[in-house]
Parts: sequence; C-alpha cells; structure tokens
Amino acid sequence: MALNLTINTSNVPLGALLAAEHVKGSVQLSVEEGKDTRLHVSDAIQFNDANSISRYLARVAPALGLYGANMMEQTEVDHWLEFSARRLCGQPGLTEALGELDLALSLRTFLVGHALTLADLSVWAALKGHEEWPSQGKSFSHVNRWFSFLSSQVPF
Amino acid sequence: TLIGKDQGALRDIVVNANPAQPPLTLLVLHSLLSKRYRVLSTVHVHSSVSNVPPQLLSCLGPRHADSYARHMFQLGFTLIWKDVPKLEMKFSIQNMCPIKGEASVARFLFKLLAPYPSDPALATLVDSWVDTAFFQLAEGSAKERATVLRALNSALGRNPWLAGPEFSLADIACYCCVLKSGSASSAPANVQRWLKSCENLGHFGPAKLLLQ
Repeated sequence: MALNLTINTSNVPLGALLAAEHVKGSVQLSVEEGKDTRLHVSDAIQFNDANSISRYLARVAPALGLYGANMMEQTEVDHWLEFSARRLCGQPGLTEALGELDLALSLRTFLVGHALTLADLSVWAALKGHEEWPSQGKSFSHVNRWFSFLSSQVPF
Repeated sequence: TLIGKDQGALRDIVVNANPAQPPLTLLVLHSLLSKRYRVLSTVHVHSSVSNVPPQLLSCLGPRHADSYARHMFQLGFTLIWKDVPKLEMKFSIQNMCPIKGEASVARFLFKLLAPYPSDPALATLVDSWVDTAFFQLAEGSAKERATVLRALNSALGRNPWLAGPEFSLADIACYCCVLKSGSASSAPANVQRWLKSCENLGHFGPAKLLLQ
C-alpha cells in the first residue's frame, strides 16, 4: 500500500523529509505539500510528529539499516532522536549541546555504528535549521567535519 | 539472547537519576526485569545530592543476600541518585554513548523483556505514545495534558491497551505519567477503566509506592 507524507511548508520537518528521501527507492511513498505534517499509513494509523514519521519509515525499509543494526544501536538512535528534538530544535544553549555532540563524534564517522542512521539525519537536519549553527560551527571541529561530510552526500 | 553473546560476563546497567524526578517507569521495568533475569540491584547516593528520602534509597528492594557473588547474576542494575539535569544510562560504554532521557532508557529496558511488535506501524505507535507520555503528559501544560487524556480516551475506546491487543511499553509509560501528573482521578471513563486494568496486572507497585 502506498504511503502518503504531507509536509507543512511553513515548518518543514527536514529530518523526516530526509528519511523519506532515503526510503523512497524501497517503499511506495508520495510526498505533497499541505497545512500539517502527517504520514498517512492507513485510515486508522497516522503519525504527526517528525520522530514518529522517521521511525516508521526506517522500520518499513529495514534493509537500509536506518534504525541501527542491533538493540544497542537502536537505543543510541533513540537517544539522538530525542537529542535533536529536545536540545537542538529551537532551543537556546546550543553551545553546550554542540560540546556533547563534538565529544560523541570525536572517534566516529557516523553517529551510530558504521553507517548512516536516523541519528545522523535528525541531528544534521536540526543543525541545518538552527540559526546559530553557522556562526558556532567553526568552534566544533568534529561536528563540522561530520556536518560537511553528510552535506556532500547525494540526498542532503 | 537479548543480553548478548558474552554469556560469562555480568552486563551492567548504570542509571544516574535526579531524586527530584524519580523515574517511575524505570522502577516498574526494573521489577519486571527482576522476574525475568537474575538481577543484582544496588542504589547509591552521589555526593551532589543530600537528604534523599528513604523510600528512594530502598526503591529497588532489599539488598540481595548473594550480592558478593557477581557471577551468580545476569544483569547488574545500579541506580545512583545524583544531581543530573536529565536521567542518564550507561551500558557497554566501550561501544555505546551514554543514553539520556527516561524515554530512551525505558525503550532499551523494555526490549530486554519483550520484543517490540514486528509490525512497523504498531511498533511506531508504541514509540509515539512513549514520547507523548514523557513530553506532553509529564512536562506539558494543563491544556496539553487535557488533549492527551482525550487522545488516550479515544484510543482506549477502540482497544484494551494503547497499542492494540497487547500490553506494551506504551501502557507502562502513559500509566506512570498519568499518575505522576495527578490527573488520574479526573481522567475520562475509558482511561479510568484502563488504569484499573493496568493495576490488576500487579506491575506498578514500585511506582505507586513512590507516589505516596
């Protein structure tokens, strides 16, 4: 059954949109503009918030590994989904959050495991949309390296 | 098995929690884990907090008689009352970042007990209720709480449990957050009925003890 993702154009859920871009080769998914963000799965089941939409899309395309490879990676992905929603999206105190992120990225190419996951998509999207990020980015070398690396990949 | 290939080693779960915000769901999950695994539970108090109430010091039950023999246990569960802004869990620290927030930790502990539904929509429905419980019920305004109670009421009019026919983490998280927010007595009919069904399962003793 085809999925339908409606995007609120005045407040684009960039992380969910990136997840949609990644899974669209694996699942039938149409994206359209509208007033509210909503993933229509069936008449009985719809998801309205960005993290639930991302989780659902990662789960219907398990071969892509967007939700991590095992239970521990899944838990780390959950941690970063909450981190991006609660510490980055429109929150003050970006410096402290960036410090934490920089530490986590010091020995890693991707946030979780050795491949791209929802963690990278949601944190990247939250930074991209954060007005303080361009001015603060320079001071956090690991975050900066990871951010440019992802930015150079095709779907970003 | 769920707790990993390394059978010989005791897997340690360390949780730092603020005594001002006792993590009710984790206490419920700890008690469920203790029925499933041999769990070595300990409570400590970090120097950053003082005057921790006695019910928080004994919240993981009495000290185990065999606690000197770590090899007799499968899981270590150490709760440290500490002045942390956000609850945090450390597990397998060589390859896993510290996990922050009660919601993410609860998801992890629940997966040690039972697999998530294999259906992507049901699994995501569970996660969506968990987020709603922790962010809107526990921390939201009175208006947000009222909206969530209406949504709970309508979901529970269709199914006995929040994510369908099976009891899940969605029920544990929402039950604890309804109780904590003090809206149990004013909740609509289906929610009242569901609160009673939850209590009949007998899993929520540890959480209720802390609310008294």
